Amino acid sequence: MSAAKRVQQWATFARTWHVFDCKWQDPYQSANLIKKYLLGLHKPIYHPMNDCGDVVVCVNSRDIALRGDEWRKRAYFHHTGYPGGASWTLAWEVHNKDPTMIIKKAVYRAMKGNLQRRHTMQRLFIYPGEEIPDDVKQNVTNQIRQLRLVPTRLDHIPEEEVQKFPKVMDYPSDYVLK
Amino acid sequence: MSLLSTKAFSFLKNAVTSPYIRALSVTSKLNIKELREYKEGNKLIIEGVSLPSPRSELLVRAEKIPDLVPTKDSENSLCYLCKLDLDVKHTDVLILSQFVRSDGCMLPRRITGLCRMQQKKVGRMVTMAQKAGLLINLTPSFCKKDPKKRYGYKKFNTYYDEKTIFWKRIPNQNDRFKR
Ligand SMILES: [Zn+2]
Repeated sequence: MSAAKRVQQWATFARTWHVFDCKWQDPYQSANLIKKYLLGLHKPIYHPMNDCGDVVVCVNSRDIALRGDEWRKRAYFHHTGYPGGASWTLAWEVHNKDPTMIIKKAVYRAMKGNLQRRHTMQRLFIYPGEEIPDDVKQNVTNQIRQLRLVPTRLDHIPEEEVQKFPKVMDYPSDYVLK
Repeated sequence: MSLLSTKAFSFLKNAVTSPYIRALSVTSKLNIKELREYKEGNKLIIEGVSLPSPRSELLVRAEKIPDLVPTKDSENSLCYLCKLDLDVKHTDVLILSQFVRSDGCMLPRRITGLCRMQQKKVGRMVTMAQKAGLLINLTPSFCKKDPKKRYGYKKFNTYYDEKTIFWKRIPNQNDRFKR
């Protein structure tokens, strides 16, 4: 085997480390994206028996965004196994308790349920803030594109840019500015 | 009866003691943009000044854009925002902030001059932007000015889908489990 072919072989079967910024991302939509990288579905050599999944590092999981009223409407179910041991926790309460749990459960649910799923989940790292441990950071070579644009707050836009922006609405002549 | 008598008494008292209150300006009541208030000696002078609008030069209108193809509908029935045919999202804070007062309250339709549909749409999108914490500097003075300091579920990021604005009924996700 030539040197070039050997390197190609390494590059094909090496695990790539991807980073995904969860800021203002819907966890249930981005779980379908993360799942593809975790299972290796984006690779042409994919086969269920082929262990070709990649590693995904999720950062800023504290800043995920849920749609509409889902923070107070989505409930997470848990049962202790004892009679009367059922409990329902709302999404915002879960997120208060552990800011990484919602994205973890979303990715877990997005994958097909077999025993391999537990091992695939070991390749998912979730961090609530921006900080990544150095031994994780030095492996990262790729960034997954975000699904939703991060919105800009009006007070973060400079004042003159707001003034210069083209206007759609004009006040009537008898309007008193407030 | 007693109420009537007190009302009549207060009316008479007001008529006798307090000075007659009339409209601020002698000329046309319209064309006021700014109310100026200053003291001269021991006189308080309140003055209504007509000023040119700061938005006139930057105004975008469909008639001024040569490339824009007018839609088939009769042009008179459309309002200026319908003619522009913009796809406004609730994250477009630079556009939405033109339709609100300094306390973040949506302006009424007689001032915005929008049609019924657009007024409702823009109003809902302003609400969405406020709830998402994007217009946090356009809020009442007692606001804490930081979305992270809100109470309970409100402190977390929320995004909205503009399709839900004109839905008759937004389906409850819990209804999936009903039989
Ligand atoms: Zn219209």
